Amino acid sequence: MPFAVAALVFMVYPVAEAVRLAFYHYNPLNPDGTNFAGLDNFRAIAADPLFWQSFRQAAVWTACSIVLQTAIGVALALLLHLPLRGISIFRGLLLFPYIVPTVVIALILQWMLNADVGVVNWSLRGAGLIDENVYWLASPGLAMLSTIALNVWKYTPFVTICVLARLQTIPLELYDAAKVDGAGTFRRFADITLPQLADVLAVVVIFRTIWTFNKFEEIYLLTRGGPGTSTFNLAIYSFEQSVASLKLGVGAATGVVMMGLLFVGSLVYVRVFRFDEEPSQ
Amino acid sequence: MNTLGVLRQVVAYLVLLVVTFLICFPLIWALSTSLKAPKDVMATPPQLLPPQPTLENYRNLVTGKQQYFRADQSYVPTTAAPQHFMSWFGNSVVVSLGSTAISILISTLAAYSVTRFRYWGRRIVPYFSLLGYMVPSIILVFPLFLVMTELRLTNSLWSLTFGYVSITLPFCMWLLWAFFRSIPIELEEAAMIDGASRLRVFIDIVLPSAAPGIIAAAIFSLIVSWNDFLFARVFINSIENLPLTVGVMHFFEGTHVDWGLMMAAAVLMTVPMAILFMLMQRHLVAGFGAGAVKG
Amino acid sequence: MAKKNSEHSRPMTRRKFLSNLAAVSTGAVGLPAWAQQKSSKTGTVRVWGEPGPYAGVAVDAMNEWAKKFAPGLAFKLETLSWDSVYVKLMTDLAARNPAHCISVESPIAYQLMADLLLEPLDDVVEKVGRNRLVDGVKWEYWGAWKGKQYVLPAHHQPHLLVVRMDVINELGLGDPDKWDWNDLRNAARTVSEKKKDMAGISLALGRNLCTDYHFAALLHSAGGRMFDPANKYQVVFDSPETVEALEYVKSLQPYMPKGAVSYSFLEVVDSIVTGRAAISFYWGRPYGRAAEENKTVFASLQSFNHARHPKTGRRSNWNDFQGWCIPRPNNQYVAEVKAALAYYQTSPQWLVRYCHSLMPNVSPTYKDVLNDPTLATHPFFQTKKETIMNYYVNSLAHSSSTGNEMLKGVNPLAGVVHGRSILAQTVQKVAVDNWKAADAAKWGARELEQVRKENLRLLGGAA
Repeated sequence: MPFAVAALVFMVYPVAEAVRLAFYHYNPLNPDGTNFAGLDNFRAIAADPLFWQSFRQAAVWTACSIVLQTAIGVALALLLHLPLRGISIFRGLLLFPYIVPTVVIALILQWMLNADVGVVNWSLRGAGLIDENVYWLASPGLAMLSTIALNVWKYTPFVTICVLARLQTIPLELYDAAKVDGAGTFRRFADITLPQLADVLAVVVIFRTIWTFNKFEEIYLLTRGGPGTSTFNLAIYSFEQSVASLKLGVGAATGVVMMGLLFVGSLVYVRVFRFDEEPSQ
Repeated sequence: MNTLGVLRQVVAYLVLLVVTFLICFPLIWALSTSLKAPKDVMATPPQLLPPQPTLENYRNLVTGKQQYFRADQSYVPTTAAPQHFMSWFGNSVVVSLGSTAISILISTLAAYSVTRFRYWGRRIVPYFSLLGYMVPSIILVFPLFLVMTELRLTNSLWSLTFGYVSITLPFCMWLLWAFFRSIPIELEEAAMIDGASRLRVFIDIVLPSAAPGIIAAAIFSLIVSWNDFLFARVFINSIENLPLTVGVMHFFEGTHVDWGLMMAAAVLMTVPMAILFMLMQRHLVAGFGAGAVKG
Repeated sequence: MAKKNSEHSRPMTRRKFLSNLAAVSTGAVGLPAWAQQKSSKTGTVRVWGEPGPYAGVAVDAMNEWAKKFAPGLAFKLETLSWDSVYVKLMTDLAARNPAHCISVESPIAYQLMADLLLEPLDDVVEKVGRNRLVDGVKWEYWGAWKGKQYVLPAHHQPHLLVVRMDVINELGLGDPDKWDWNDLRNAARTVSEKKKDMAGISLALGRNLCTDYHFAALLHSAGGRMFDPANKYQVVFDSPETVEALEYVKSLQPYMPKGAVSYSFLEVVDSIVTGRAAISFYWGRPYGRAAEENKTVFASLQSFNHARHPKTGRRSNWNDFQGWCIPRPNNQYVAEVKAALAYYQTSPQWLVRYCHSLMPNVSPTYKDVLNDPTLATHPFFQTKKETIMNYYVNSLAHSSSTGNEMLKGVNPLAGVVHGRSILAQTVQKVAVDNWKAADAAKWGARELEQVRKENLRLLGGAA
């Protein structure tokens, strides 16, 4: 019983603090000068064009990442579902990107994408695909692409596992029946597999969206939000406000906004989840 | 769909190999770079196989050899020194194990209590767990930092340990709650009627059944603590107390970036996770499958 | 100098040189009474310094003092990369646990002193020697506020026009010392056009401190400023001079390496040392690296004062005027740090060693050190004397800083400006987002207004 209380304390207290901080002006260089700010911090961020830019960019980043992760994830799952010999080895390797520290993959990518000596540029030039070195991390659009690539690399396996687990529960008889009916591979996929996956995909997409929107390390460690502010998202905006501008209150206010969005997202999840619990078909 | 044509099999294998290669390439490249001598690292065009493989980078990291920057034929120490690498490694180990132990302890007992006893508020705990799980660490980092400041724990490994408990606890609670819920109470009740104490019942009956879940939760906690960057960056100030994730970023200081050294550090940082992964792979997948999909 | 000349008919090797120094420094000069006070305190004294061997030399000097006078103390150096100074400062100060001694660039020092976070050091100044400064500088450049000195000079560090003379001569581009802005741009263009794989000029355009510093020099050459200390620190950034400086950067951009928009200190040095750029703005670091890594580049590298602005004739550089300061809150070693600093700064041997540790990056601040015969024994003096003198002496006439713009008055807001990379962001609006310079200047001015508004307390009633 006391453990449940301890659990609650650890989980709830930091969040409560985070919310409380949003309502104060806090300057860490002068901690004793904290004062109550009311809604000032929120007004400040609403008026800041960088906040909205971060929001937009976060949305774009999330959308692209999710689409890619889902498409590739499902494809991989289908591939791994095939009854090939030794497939379990491949399945085993699957979660590998998830356990690699983000710092590591960010460093490696920085090295690989180095415009002058990185292997990516050299391979592309060798293959004749590009003429001169591409500045993957120094051009706004490409920087966004690079961070999306990192995100996809790291989390697609997650999608694949969930989908694969579901695939393995689809009764084979459905397929046999369809084959008897003369349906080709594609029809079988569209009519049987997809609908069965729909509920898993819904859950996965929602979860991934909620997380991806607020990711910090994947972008910060690769581009620090640059070049310029082209790869900023809300998490980085919050960090910069707290650290570079020394306005912890504003950073916390951004955090509150992020939590609000999270909450909305989770409401959606709960709706779907409840819907999903009813017996289907 | 029991047998595929041979052609299809070959194609499938090829695709699988390509995909695996793509997934693993970054680490393969890192390994390759780390085994190259300094002059080969920056050589162009870059080659996959090091022309003269050397363990120099790893030696430097493990022995903590001071890096030198030569100016006009003399040696002057630079700041991009691998001398702290082993302490970073140690710190990561301590903090990960510590926070995992605490998280598991609390969540196991809390989950058990929530599913077995009746009292007010027990229904909300799992939902708070789920919500807590979804809160990204960036929101928590500064408020927690302020708390740590008040407790005078900043710059110590304790601050990280407790910080990580905050982020790993929600998921552990959620997972274990689901697990405990699915363990039938009858066995315990039968044993208790036979005279066994609750503690005995817990140890002999409940724990073994919940083992897969506990292992999955522990693995998850270890991974999250080992890989975290943000908390360590904000909580810790002095270079010896850093864990690996923030420590390696210090190799960017000074006037050179020694990529060979960096990649060696990257590889060494991933190795423990990789080992953990290989040993516990099945549990991990099972845990995720159960926790995320079944919900 | 006459004594030493007979000793080198060929360049002295580093080892011999260091052993000479060691011999000289161990026979320590008799110490004045105030420096012989002992302390019985124990513990570790934390010293912050920027990346580079010189801070280590200073800490070694302080530890020598500790061995003699405070055996229970150990001075320990913690290195902060330039980009993490603000994070570390914030977290440590918030944790009420700052370092006991900080070596820092003047804009940050000004901010700290205006916030009354530093210990006044006038007593140490007296011990060190109030008349000792080299010509052309004043004590307040390092940090004086309301009549008190808060910062002791560690060194000064200007960035200058770094040029590959072999390329310049090959293309017949004249004498860089006589260039003005148009000549510079012309040279950059010619190099870019005529030389394959080499950019004309390499500047930092990333959202970082290096960009701030590069741009500040151009801004001040054009005659523009951020704040006006004589007029309540009003923001005067939105001006034709600012626009001109921004447009100049934009006009140089086609001749910069393509990755310049994300360049910071490291990348600019890289581009010089690997021969990917012919011209740059930099402090002395490339020489050390080139001497080790790329002898061809080293042989032909030279530094000059910056190109003249065609109208104002100014050749402003950004000089860090870096100094030692002692944070006041929660600092139990104030007296010991003061004594250690005084000890180290009254020892020409240590000061020369400090300069030698990274030539010609850190410039001596005291006359006796500048004229010390052992200073010129460093091998770089053989081939790079003119360059060294440009860094050490000739730059001072043109020195400027974001904290003390055109040396017309200290403003404590510069630290905050750098913390938010406002200058760099302004440059990026033009260079990356393709804004019009006038709009970017307005944006920058608004940001500076914000900074001023939020930090009125630093201006101490002057606003």
